[in-house]
Amino acid sequence: MELLTSYTFLIVAIGTTLLSFASGIIGTISVIKGQSLIGDAIGHATFPGIILAFMLVGVTDTLSLAVGAVIFGVIAFFFIQMITNHSKITLDGALALILSSFFGLGMALKSFVQGNPAFQNTQGIDDYIFGQAAYMLRLDVYLILIASVISLLLFIIFYHQIRIYTFDPIYSSTIGINPSLINFLVLSMTIILIAVGLKAVGAILIVNLLIAPGVIGLLWSNRFKTVIIIAGVAGAVSAFIGTYISTAFAGFPAGPSIIIVLSVFVFISMLFGRKGLVTRKFKKVRGESS
Amino acid sequence: MIEVLFVLIVASLATSVLGVFLVLKNQAMTTDAISHTILLGIVLAFFITQDIRSPWLIIGAALVGVLTVYLIQLINQTNLIKNDASIGIVFTALFAIAIILISRYADNVHLDIDVVIAGEVLFAPLNRIEIFGYSMPRALWQLGLLLIVNTGFVALFYKELKVSTFDPKFAYVIGFSTTLIYYMLMTLVSVTAVVAFDAVGAILVINFFVAPVLTAYLLVKRLSHMIFLTAFFAILNSTLGYLIGYNIDLSMSGATATVALIIFIMVFLFKPDGYIILKIKKRRQKKEFMHAMILMLMSEDEHEMISSKEIAKHFNLTRAETEKQLETLEMEGYIVKTDDHYMLTIRGEEFTHYSRIKYELKPY
Repeated sequence: MELLTSYTFLIVAIGTTLLSFASGIIGTISVIKGQSLIGDAIGHATFPGIILAFMLVGVTDTLSLAVGAVIFGVIAFFFIQMITNHSKITLDGALALILSSFFGLGMALKSFVQGNPAFQNTQGIDDYIFGQAAYMLRLDVYLILIASVISLLLFIIFYHQIRIYTFDPIYSSTIGINPSLINFLVLSMTIILIAVGLKAVGAILIVNLLIAPGVIGLLWSNRFKTVIIIAGVAGAVSAFIGTYISTAFAGFPAGPSIIIVLSVFVFISMLFGRKGLVTRKFKKVRGESS
Repeated sequence: MIEVLFVLIVASLATSVLGVFLVLKNQAMTTDAISHTILLGIVLAFFITQDIRSPWLIIGAALVGVLTVYLIQLINQTNLIKNDASIGIVFTALFAIAIILISRYADNVHLDIDVVIAGEVLFAPLNRIEIFGYSMPRALWQLGLLLIVNTGFVALFYKELKVSTFDPKFAYVIGFSTTLIYYMLMTLVSVTAVVAFDAVGAILVINFFVAPVLTAYLLVKRLSHMIFLTAFFAILNSTLGYLIGYNIDLSMSGATATVALIIFIMVFLFKPDGYIILKIKKRRQKKEFMHAMILMLMSEDEHEMISSKEIAKHFNLTRAETEKQLETLEMEGYIVKTDDHYMLTIRGEEFTHYSRIKYELKPY
């Protein structure tokens, strides 16, 4: 119980819970649209941005690294858009190419930084690949707070447009909503959340926070509003439990712990959710007997 | 040093020959999943054998790779979760388990996840093996064997792979199992990914699987041509990446992956029907059309003498644009300017006649 009020735990728990709540809601849109792996590609693609920002600033300063991450996230997004719109290459191929090449660029830059005596204190950089929630500072939490509030506000303001765009992009353009603009809006919210969440869960695993809550929501309901509420709550609850496990037991990093909790929830929902396997079977049996 | 280049080239050839079918089957992101989850296989096998150099590590990793594919397929079959979302969930969950296992139980051993992900091909020649009296890097030997196996597989099952890639329903009708072919392919993909990632790192493995293939895919349509062109780009990417990495002293894997993107983008932009050429063509077409429209307007009786202001109003153009168009037309001798008004020349009259035929309009 003492643990629940300790300063480190509170900082980390508030940060991860907020982050997972917001990413759960925003990520649901991509899950419904079948673009959930864009988050994975962008998560990896932020890596060179972080290194370049570090090279420019010279220290691992949270804000500038986040700005670097956002810039490269946006660049990666435009590359993906251009490749899929102007060639026969599918989203799947474009994502794999951008993901590996951008991360490769980050690796090349990192080796340059580490082999160069002009740069010091490079060890903090690795935290952004695998996440080091334990080292989260008050400033990191503020950043997450700002990013979450901005993206949720945008989501609420454009709720109507986003909903129509998500389910029927063609109809949305006939009533005067620009689908590519809304797409960019959704992706910018995703990129911002990824950028501020890197330190908590890392570039590789962050995509799970964007996918898993939405998947859980979709297994329980068909109504958009209900789905996003379930997604947000599932994300937040998992993040809190995961952070608690990570603080209470040694050797459980927060990011992976949160993802394990989320995966367990996904598994349970796959079986017992309203559309789950067990429920499906149960309904079938009842349907046959009546 | 040159052995490093050989390792890179052989690794890229062995992976990209399978990558052709992965890209065509829209399974490129599965390689991303596999190359992350094999870490779990390595960790589990390491716990059992307690030996970081044990060959069981490779076998364990390859098994988990296949298991990843199987899990994704299993979830897909329930129709509960979309394909891309199930990939994202399965690989992150397995990867998260691996990280927890490492940080909880293997923190004191040399199992550096950073090296696993980023890879350092420079170290490959240090681990050597004696084959027929020759000393060569173990990675080169293993990857060379895999290159032969993979090429043999593609050559032997070329027809089956082709049919199951492009027309799975037809494959089903003529009576062979696409599932069997798929799992054979995916098993080879896992084994190749494991062996290659030991030498060059997980990220470059994904890049090797897709980048040369996608670059070739931009240029050719026939499957056989695509395979050969893929091999060409695989060698090109590795060689350039090696040279850059070696000369500027950068991570070889990182440099190679970056070079691959640059070459892809160059081909994407500058190929004969590429982005830039298409943009230029479109612009030229637009300009030609505008010229024809202006001339046709002037060929109508009531617009025989027309000022640039009227033209601008008619086509809803800005003054500057109109002036530019008229200037070109005047220079090419289609129109003449008298005072403030423009008039068609004989040449212009002829041109409108052909324009009408070209755009299938009624002759005036």
